[in-house]
Amino acid sequence: MSVFQGLKFSAVSSPIHRLDPRVKFLFVSILFVATILFSDLLPLLVLFFVQIPVLIVAKVQREWLKTLRGALMLSVIIFASNLLANYFYSDRILTTETLELSLAMTVRFIALITTFSVFFLTTSPDKLSLALEKARVPYELNFAFITAIRFVPVLADEAQTIMDAQKSRGLELEKGNFIQRIRNYLPILLPLIINSIRRSLELAEAMESRAFGAMKKRSNLYELRVTKSDYFVLILSLVILFLVLYIRFFIPIPRYLFPFSRIL
Amino acid sequence: MHSHLYVEGTLGIIEIKGLTYSYPGSEQPVLREVNLSIDRGEFVLLTGPSGCGKTTLCRCLNGLIPHFYNGKLDGEIKIVGLSVQDTPTSKLAQHVGLIFQNPDNQIFALTVEKDIAFGLENLDYSREEMIKTIDWALKVTGIESLRNRAPHELSGGQKQRLAIASILAMKPEVIVLDEPTSFLDPVGAENILQIIDRLNKELDMTIMMIEHRLDLLAPYLDRIIILDEGRILHDGPPREIFAFEESKLVGIGVPVVTKLEYRLREAGIDLGETVLNAPEFVKALRTRLIQKRENSSPSAPFYRGVLEEDKVPEGEAAIEAKDLHFSYPNGVRALNGVSLRVMPGEFLAIMGENGAGKTTLVKHFNGLLRPNHGEVYLDGKNIAGMSVASLARKVGLVFQNPDDQLFSESVDEEIAFALRNFGFDKAVIEERIAWVLELLGLTRYRKASPFTLSGGERKRVALASVLAWDPEVLVLDEPTIGQDYAQKGRLKNFLKQLRDRGKTLIIVTHDVEFVAECKPRIILMAKGQITADGSAEKVLTELGSLKQASVNPPEIAKVFLQLSEFGLPRSIINVEDAYDLLTKRLGRNGD
Repeated sequence: MSVFQGLKFSAVSSPIHRLDPRVKFLFVSILFVATILFSDLLPLLVLFFVQIPVLIVAKVQREWLKTLRGALMLSVIIFASNLLANYFYSDRILTTETLELSLAMTVRFIALITTFSVFFLTTSPDKLSLALEKARVPYELNFAFITAIRFVPVLADEAQTIMDAQKSRGLELEKGNFIQRIRNYLPILLPLIINSIRRSLELAEAMESRAFGAMKKRSNLYELRVTKSDYFVLILSLVILFLVLYIRFFIPIPRYLFPFSRIL
Repeated sequence: MHSHLYVEGTLGIIEIKGLTYSYPGSEQPVLREVNLSIDRGEFVLLTGPSGCGKTTLCRCLNGLIPHFYNGKLDGEIKIVGLSVQDTPTSKLAQHVGLIFQNPDNQIFALTVEKDIAFGLENLDYSREEMIKTIDWALKVTGIESLRNRAPHELSGGQKQRLAIASILAMKPEVIVLDEPTSFLDPVGAENILQIIDRLNKELDMTIMMIEHRLDLLAPYLDRIIILDEGRILHDGPPREIFAFEESKLVGIGVPVVTKLEYRLREAGIDLGETVLNAPEFVKALRTRLIQKRENSSPSAPFYRGVLEEDKVPEGEAAIEAKDLHFSYPNGVRALNGVSLRVMPGEFLAIMGENGAGKTTLVKHFNGLLRPNHGEVYLDGKNIAGMSVASLARKVGLVFQNPDDQLFSESVDEEIAFALRNFGFDKAVIEERIAWVLELLGLTRYRKASPFTLSGGERKRVALASVLAWDPEVLVLDEPTIGQDYAQKGRLKNFLKQLRDRGKTLIIVTHDVEFVAECKPRIILMAKGQITADGSAEKVLTELGSLKQASVNPPEIAKVFLQLSEFGLPRSIINVEDAYDLLTKRLGRNGD
């Protein structure tokens, strides 16, 4: 169940983790916009590399690498499809420019994934929910969001146990044709769904027992406090935004590092 | 703060008069004419056979019934003077805290402290107040060091302590616990009981608890209430209750030492007052043995328990594990060089605390898990490369929670599932279904939906669905969990029948009293290794290795380990053997 590994948030503390989620959101949004604005290899590489120190300060480089490994297949597909499309489009001529363009698209994809990682790997769902609360998202939705994250590891364990139990009763998941294979998953899905319904009832009982919805207004153990480093990141983000726009629209950057030369 | 009429001393903290309740859509009342008054500071056990209405009564105490469940409620329930019918659950929750069986389903937040805060946030406490209360609740439950951990990083016992801390933070006067230890290992369970006792003694909280494990609990209790078919059958202090013969009849797990004392009394050996735990029994028995020694002429030491030497089993093992090593993908090392031979027809119990590697080990027997290093042999054949399906045909594995496998519309379909997977003929399938339903006493549920059955019945259906293909080896993971006294008795008989049919049986269990009664060969596991292996009499009386594996000795063993000065054998572990020995030793011949 390694797919869920990334969702198991563990409390690590770093200057990046401690940033106000709203400021951090602004920061990554600007990086995001910048990555979309540029389509040339050089600026995209710059955008990719500037994020690496951030990941290292946040001590999440290992999780980030795991995510990248997960995205490897997709990156290869992006690279290959760009390359092939350009190759056939330009009458079967492979040039350094085609190569660079395909590479640029791939780097853009990886840079975007990295931007997402910076945010989601360093922002605890609790803080995120707090930010949502400040944005006046109704508490019920917020609670549902937190509960969903809370039960990912529980459900993953349960799915594994159910799968083991049914395999022990001779269920072979890979047996049969396509339709048969889908049917094979019923003995796993049904107990999972029924258990979830049962669980939700128990959860509701436990919520009632903890005075859920007792008052119109509810308090929060955590609070968002804007610190000096938040102001710093805020200003930095705006500077980056300004730079990005300036470079994009007023400075001619070389479109290609190695202009036209034919390879094939 | 509370502006209602509740004057200390005039009324119980819980007052129930003529309570009758039936769930919506059901004519049959689950509670009938219940009258109950509980005083502040009492520690009350609520017990009775499964389905007797215990959980329903608990739900009435904080208003889940009638506010959440609706249904038909007659009579009067008052908690600290508040009428439950007229007070919303969110308000009652500040007076009565409910703690449930499954700790996972009552933890909402992503960190320990935030979960403790959940109730307080709902009540709009200020941050300062919350932090103060959280500090206190963490301290009382002894989980200060876990403050910033995520729930999925906690053990079962830690999760249950968190659940208690979270309820505690709301500072209720009454805490109601519905089988809080049934998901925990014995050490985790004892820890929880100690915390609850502290809440009762030091914080003067009123405790109402549902529990089957009376051996551990008996010394703490002020009062026992036995429910049967929705009525209160008995209500009184433990000594008084356990003295009733009837209490046995409704399937109450009377502490084993109490049972022994009771049987001795029937045989004319009176040890005085009803005993509740091993130390009391030792005291009573010691007095009696000293009297006896003084009265009778010195005689040769009575007899010593004869323990057969460990025989190295010969012949081909049903299952053999050689130096198994296994780590989970997340890096947890679960097995660290386990070697084991289980002979055909043998009965083996695997014990040890949660996380010791017991379940991991048995999952290697049918190929669900494959070792990183080492081999497993089934009937002498290395199973590497064989499919789970082909191995499962020979090794039937019954999981702990039946709900992790039941999915069919009817009981017979559920049983047919595996038979079809293994390619049995239609006629054979019919035959096997009829046979296994009869064997487990489920015939009348043949066409019923498994989901309408009780927990104990579902457990039997899960067992039936595996037993149906008649595997040579049967592995049961925690077969006694959630089973009441009577169900355990039936299970014991059933296992004996299987043994008589020559089946190889392996059980993974925490239930030391159950094991002491069945007397299988036992292996103890700790930290992914086998730390002891031998007969039940031998393993369950070696305190050192028991402690290492976090297993408590059986109550009867606790008694006899302290009486060796009288020449009594140390290897007596269950009521039956103790009774035989003591009637011979203390019986008529000397008096």
